[in-house]
Amino acid sequence: MKVLLLSVFHPDLVRGGAQQIAWELFEGLKQVPGVEAVLLASTDRSLPALYKTGACITGFDGRTDEYLFLTNDLDPWWHKSSDARLVEAYAAFLQQVRPDVVHFHHFMTFGIELLTLTRRVLPSSRIVFTFHEFLAICAADGHMIRRTDGSLCDHATPVRCHQCFPEVAPERFFLRTAYMKSHLSAVDVFTVPSRFMRDFYVRWGLPADRLVHVSNGQLPPDGAGAPMPERKQRNRFGFFGQLVDAKGVWLLLQAIDLLRTEGFVAFSVEINGDNLRYASDSRRAEIERFTAAEEARPFGERLVTFNGSYHRALIAERIARIDWCVVPSVWWENSPIVIPEAFLFGRPVIAADVGGQAELVTNERDGLLFRFADARSLADTLRRAASEPGLWQRLASGIAPTVTREAMVESCLALYAAT
Amino acid sequence: MSDAEPDAPADFDEAVYLQLNPDVAAAVSAGSSPTGRDHFLRYGAREGRRYLPGSGEVRAPVVIAMASLRPDGTRAPPPPGFGVEAVRMSPGGGVFVTGWVDDATDPLAALLLQGEGFEIDLAQVSLARTRRRDVEDKLGASERHPYGFWSFLDLGRQMPRQGTLRLVLRQESGAGVTVEAGVLSMPDTDLRDEVLAWLATADYFGDRYAAAVACLDGGTGAQLIASNLRLTNAIVAEPFVERFGPQGTKPLGSLVVCLYGRPEFMFVQNALFAGLPGIEDYEFVYVCNSPELADRLLRDARISNLVHGLRQTMVLLPGNAGFAAANNVGFAQARSDRVVALNPDVSPRQHDWARRHTDTVAALPPAQTALFGVPLYYEDGSLMHGGMYFDIDSVPVEGRRRLVRRDLVRVEHFGKGSPPGSEDFVRARPVPAATGAFLSFRRDWFERLGGFSESYIFGHYEDADICVRSLMAGTPPWLHDIRMWHLEGKGGVRSAASEGASFVNRWQFSRAWAGAIRGGLSLPAPAPGRKARR
Repeated sequence: MKVLLLSVFHPDLVRGGAQQIAWELFEGLKQVPGVEAVLLASTDRSLPALYKTGACITGFDGRTDEYLFLTNDLDPWWHKSSDARLVEAYAAFLQQVRPDVVHFHHFMTFGIELLTLTRRVLPSSRIVFTFHEFLAICAADGHMIRRTDGSLCDHATPVRCHQCFPEVAPERFFLRTAYMKSHLSAVDVFTVPSRFMRDFYVRWGLPADRLVHVSNGQLPPDGAGAPMPERKQRNRFGFFGQLVDAKGVWLLLQAIDLLRTEGFVAFSVEINGDNLRYASDSRRAEIERFTAAEEARPFGERLVTFNGSYHRALIAERIARIDWCVVPSVWWENSPIVIPEAFLFGRPVIAADVGGQAELVTNERDGLLFRFADARSLADTLRRAASEPGLWQRLASGIAPTVTREAMVESCLALYAAT
Repeated sequence: MSDAEPDAPADFDEAVYLQLNPDVAAAVSAGSSPTGRDHFLRYGAREGRRYLPGSGEVRAPVVIAMASLRPDGTRAPPPPGFGVEAVRMSPGGGVFVTGWVDDATDPLAALLLQGEGFEIDLAQVSLARTRRRDVEDKLGASERHPYGFWSFLDLGRQMPRQGTLRLVLRQESGAGVTVEAGVLSMPDTDLRDEVLAWLATADYFGDRYAAAVACLDGGTGAQLIASNLRLTNAIVAEPFVERFGPQGTKPLGSLVVCLYGRPEFMFVQNALFAGLPGIEDYEFVYVCNSPELADRLLRDARISNLVHGLRQTMVLLPGNAGFAAANNVGFAQARSDRVVALNPDVSPRQHDWARRHTDTVAALPPAQTALFGVPLYYEDGSLMHGGMYFDIDSVPVEGRRRLVRRDLVRVEHFGKGSPPGSEDFVRARPVPAATGAFLSFRRDWFERLGGFSESYIFGHYEDADICVRSLMAGTPPWLHDIRMWHLEGKGGVRSAASEGASFVNRWQFSRAWAGAIRGGLSLPAPAPGRKARR
């Protein structure tokens, strides 16, 4: 069986959960006898040197069965490619590779019409699609956060979407939905890594019998399972992720401000991640103000350390410095891989009480849940975590084994083989 | 202490600014903007509007003669108050003049326009009067009198560029004045659009809309239509045609879609129609009225062909020929005997619509399918269209010291806004008319009717017009129950010129058919929903 995996970006070029999971699947499939896996990962103009003159698809650094799709001229509203050469190159690539299964991890950067094109070029192939957020449903970056007040959105309608985008008429959302569904109809089976997200897509109108929950699985990073350093207090928190609005690092900083104002400073926070440039102007300014103020303090009075970006190989080193992992996301999240990663290193997780994070973290068993998007609630939870004797040990010992890469591969293989 | 108010540049000239920006002139004359200078300071500077003329482009009108003697040799009264604000010409022979005259007590007898090789009395050929609040203020007038005037002429031939034109004004008393005015030269289509925008934005007494339509009686309507017809003929003379997908067999049906300003509707519509049962028997013919979109559309059509494999023809026009002419070109390019005019914002509400359409055509008597429409639905689920009917608005329009009855035909949709299951509105039946958003024709019948009338500018009323012509020719349009979505009004872009065009179209439709409609046409059996929600 030959499986072509389409990944939004390559995790070695751009960090992100969706591409990490696609990569894990690719690596896992390669270990299965009788399975031939090919990876086609998109890239964009952030790495212009990778664009070879006249090329649409190229190899990647001499790696076997890994290719780069050199995206260009994508319409961000319809998620449609406007570059006919690129679309032709994809069709030719399909005809050359002739996979039995084409598994899309996202349509972003590729163009959603490639689903229909795949069906047309390879009528008998099996098309699998993994959702990583709500982009098909929600034009607001697929987050389903209401732009009107930042609250969570639990269903999209033309008028509700128009309220988020007053400059766009309801009819346009109606069309967008119809357009997305027309292309998604080419898919044989959808996978969703979280159960709550599956419910969203069923409510949106995708056939329930074609929506399958497949948990994200990954190989433990190097160093996972190493013994926990002994510390008297378990009051070190870590954030791992992008510094974009939806990941909520700003909420964490607000909670820290609250605690400092109250005189509670017996803790530290390490921020690991980058892409602050993709944050909104106001949140970026807020984070930069906090950073400047923090750096102006004497070293010994600082509560927060900004460590910058990290590669997967650095996770063990970064995570060794903390006791708790904080996931303050202010959207539903899907199935953030930072949570199983923290569990693999024996760290309990503090996360918001909604969506994908609440599905992965069990309150008072392997972590603590705070009220969604509530800095006060997060501050109280941090204070309790840093000061309640025995809490860390109890929650760390409650961490269950995480889903393995092999389990994920096995689930996918079953879907590939199903007729 | 606040900063000083910004002022206009030292070389700002009120008259020149108004000449270069007729919409501002209209706003000033309507009183919605106090002066051109005020407009420039508030908006114009930020919008990058021109206030300096190009070389020889605008020259302030100069009074070169005043009538002092009547033809019988007696002394004429002093010359009237008179102003010329804009004189524009296009190479194709369009002339547009705006100004005002104080003829409240001494009516205008003639307004001669003199240029190289022509002299025309605008008052006889093409003259419309408008309200001018600025002139009322200036004259301290208390009487309701339309001091403003505008004229549009279609000289019907290529005209050499003229630096100046003369306007000779004569009043009944013999008073007169001759003014020489600089001419601003502009492209034919720009001039047409400017005149249409002027029509839509000028000020009138009484019912503004009815008065604007009525003012077309003075010859401006006929001149605009004649001019537009020539422009349209030139635009459609040599379309650029590119075909995609399999062209071997003759399709059972052709879907002709006119695109304007919104290229994405093509690939979205392709996606929503492709793969549905029976669509393989159809072809798409897209006619693009926006030449600036040509490259993108061809690229998208290439992608769409790869993705969907539909039979598709792209017809690219070098300008906006309007709905009627573009559809006529599209119908000519269509290869089947069943041709459907389809709006770009129409998509199937029933996944088997193509089969239903094919079966309807095959199964029913020819008279019921020569021309038919279908029920259309809003995206919110309610009915948008279950056929069309006509009402007549009788509006009093202010004439010289009297009110004149003006009959304006209004086109309404049966069942607009009704719940989805309103069977009375969607059942198969003859109807007075159906919307051009989806209008299915037997090709030979379409050709016998002479196609859509190209005298309608841009769009509006040409669908009702062809339906009435069909009805008058003994074949009423039908409505058949094949349900589609219609995102009404979202498939193109609207401008002030489009508004003006709809005034002209309603004017000509009313002139052509108000009498017949008032007489009852030969309407089919009374259809339901005359009192439908609108």
